[in-house]
Amino acid sequence: MLTGIKDIIDAEQEGRCRYYRFRKVPSQGSTAGIWFDMSMSPGMPVPKYWFDAAPLTAKAITQSEDGGLFHGANVSPSEKYLRSIQIQGFCSSTTTPCPITMVLCDYLLYYPTVDDGTTDEQTMTNTVTLPRYTDGEGVQMIAVTTGARTGNQYFTIKYTNQDGVADRVTPQLQQNTSTSVGSITNSASTQVNGASAFIPLQENDTGVQRIQSVTMQGADTGLFSVILVKPLAYITLREVVASTGVLVGVANDKDFLLYDNTIPRIYDNAFLNFVIHPTSTTISSTTFTGDLKVIWK
Amino acid sequence: MAGFASFDQVISAFSNGQKWDATWGKNFNPTAAAVANEWHTLFRGGGNPPADAIFDAGTALNFQAVKDSTSSAASLLHGGNVQPTYYKYLASGHVVTAAATTVPNVISLVDVIGFYRVTAVTTTTAQSTTNTLSQTDTFTAETSDLCTFTSTANIPSNLLVGTRVRCTTSGTLPAGLSTGTDYYYIRVSDSTFKLASSYANAIAGTAVDITDTGSGTHTLNWLLPRYTNGAGVQAIFFNPQATALGAGTPNLILSYTNSTQTGSRGTPTTYPIGKTAASNSHILYTGATGTGKYNYAVPLQAGDAGIAQIDSIRNDATYTSGMYSVAMIKEIARFPISTLGLASERNFLNELPSLPRIYDGAALYWLVGSGAATPANSAYSGLLTFIWN
Repeated sequence: MLTGIKDIIDAEQEGRCRYYRFRKVPSQGSTAGIWFDMSMSPGMPVPKYWFDAAPLTAKAITQSEDGGLFHGANVSPSEKYLRSIQIQGFCSSTTTPCPITMVLCDYLLYYPTVDDGTTDEQTMTNTVTLPRYTDGEGVQMIAVTTGARTGNQYFTIKYTNQDGVADRVTPQLQQNTSTSVGSITNSASTQVNGASAFIPLQENDTGVQRIQSVTMQGADTGLFSVILVKPLAYITLREVVASTGVLVGVANDKDFLLYDNTIPRIYDNAFLNFVIHPTSTTISSTTFTGDLKVIWK
Repeated sequence: MAGFASFDQVISAFSNGQKWDATWGKNFNPTAAAVANEWHTLFRGGGNPPADAIFDAGTALNFQAVKDSTSSAASLLHGGNVQPTYYKYLASGHVVTAAATTVPNVISLVDVIGFYRVTAVTTTTAQSTTNTLSQTDTFTAETSDLCTFTSTANIPSNLLVGTRVRCTTSGTLPAGLSTGTDYYYIRVSDSTFKLASSYANAIAGTAVDITDTGSGTHTLNWLLPRYTNGAGVQAIFFNPQATALGAGTPNLILSYTNSTQTGSRGTPTTYPIGKTAASNSHILYTGATGTGKYNYAVPLQAGDAGIAQIDSIRNDATYTSGMYSVAMIKEIARFPISTLGLASERNFLNELPSLPRIYDGAALYWLVGSGAATPANSAYSGLLTFIWN
């Protein structure tokens, strides 16, 4: 556990420090203003698909089984922290999706294949619990499209909050019209409760332990999965400049000690990936590359 | 006391001229364009400093230490030795490239501590290495258990606590010490030390009891010239030759002793996987896709903070021809380059607490991580500013 600046210095001086590289190249299209989950995008690490398990059944997510941005082996009884992120991007098109806000999340538990096509309450099977952040404090929900839809239907999610109180219900959420696999189902600047990637909770709730059910208000044709995540860090790929034949996103290098006055904890076996917010155009021709720098003590 | 304890001391060091500005320029060496996300060394790239001529030479599987003074090492200049009066640090730097389609990329400054050369690339079993403790300096001992260096040829001020060492003598070792026995270094100062019977005792400061001063000239022997206990030391497999490796996609595996001096540690057996026909300078397992390609360094066993020595090296399937080397390196700094002609600048003073230490004898080189296809002979240049106090 870090207790001060000296611990950070010691970690770096004594070799308890690593850089890990990632390179994601989304092949899916995206839409300006609609948040997008990069887990299912090709590159390194390889994609993790959120429809690869039993429908409506909770499944824990871990680095060892599911991958994600690699952050090194387990370090217990020491604790691992995210010291900094460096991110770059480039694309060959003449338009770019920058600036892009990127949220690094620890993906915890997912419920595959919620069906847009029924207005019955779709009840989840919860035979496993959160593998990390086990009390649910700070744990948020994202709904990720896995099958295209027409859009504009409404839905709600019933969940158990951070205090173990069941039957909490989200505000009404409206699906967007994006057909892209990986887009955040309810995200769009003009949609009801769609400004954030993270689904708004019932008043005064600060986290989620488990999802009980999802109810569509009207039927559609698509599919989505609901994932419980813990947002860890924000970084922005701010601008692009013309280069030889490509447009290049100027590197952003965020030192969390200097800029956030805190260093996010990375739990052993955490599955890390980005949820991103393109503000201009599609990300499908954009390469995202960078490093995570971790330390442990 | 050497080192920086305040901003005022940094300002004073600059004012007093305790600094060295090192300009450099190196060409990307591979004869074929790099594939995105591959890493390459710039060791053999032309420029200033010139191409190295060491990493494909020497006895196979023997550890060969590398210092800035090593003949034909061609490492970056950093202002000469300053210890033990001062300690040196990297204060700031920039890197720039104007070569077409090289960006974005990342360029890492590393201290190459030493390397092993593997020439029998058709051998698929583990090949044992030879780790001769070739770093030596003489010392005298007192019955207080304190020993004092009497020579500095191999920069004993670089020695760190917990380093495995052995003693030799022209006469009789001080009572309490024996030849052929591993001891573990207890650092007292840049010029004095004690010895412990185990790594744990070294960390605890529990010294071997020395009851006389012995006779003759005593010598302390150790392996790594810098980062001597292995903390933070990582390994890379790379092609050091001017020609490509032959065909083959083996898993590349190390058995090593970690920085707590525990042996029989292993890298993952299922990855990383070397690239077939890897070009010159290529770090063999780096690339755009595939398991385990998360950095240029080989992943270590869980919990390990570094490598004190490599005990065996294995490619579990053949390369049809060529050779590769395994270098032990310590990353100093990393510069992301986004834009052609626009320098990537770092001020490490403002990136506290990361002011990186540069040890005397450091052999500094660059590694390039390509974000896009990087053409051969792409030019990189820049400036590194070192300060000492």
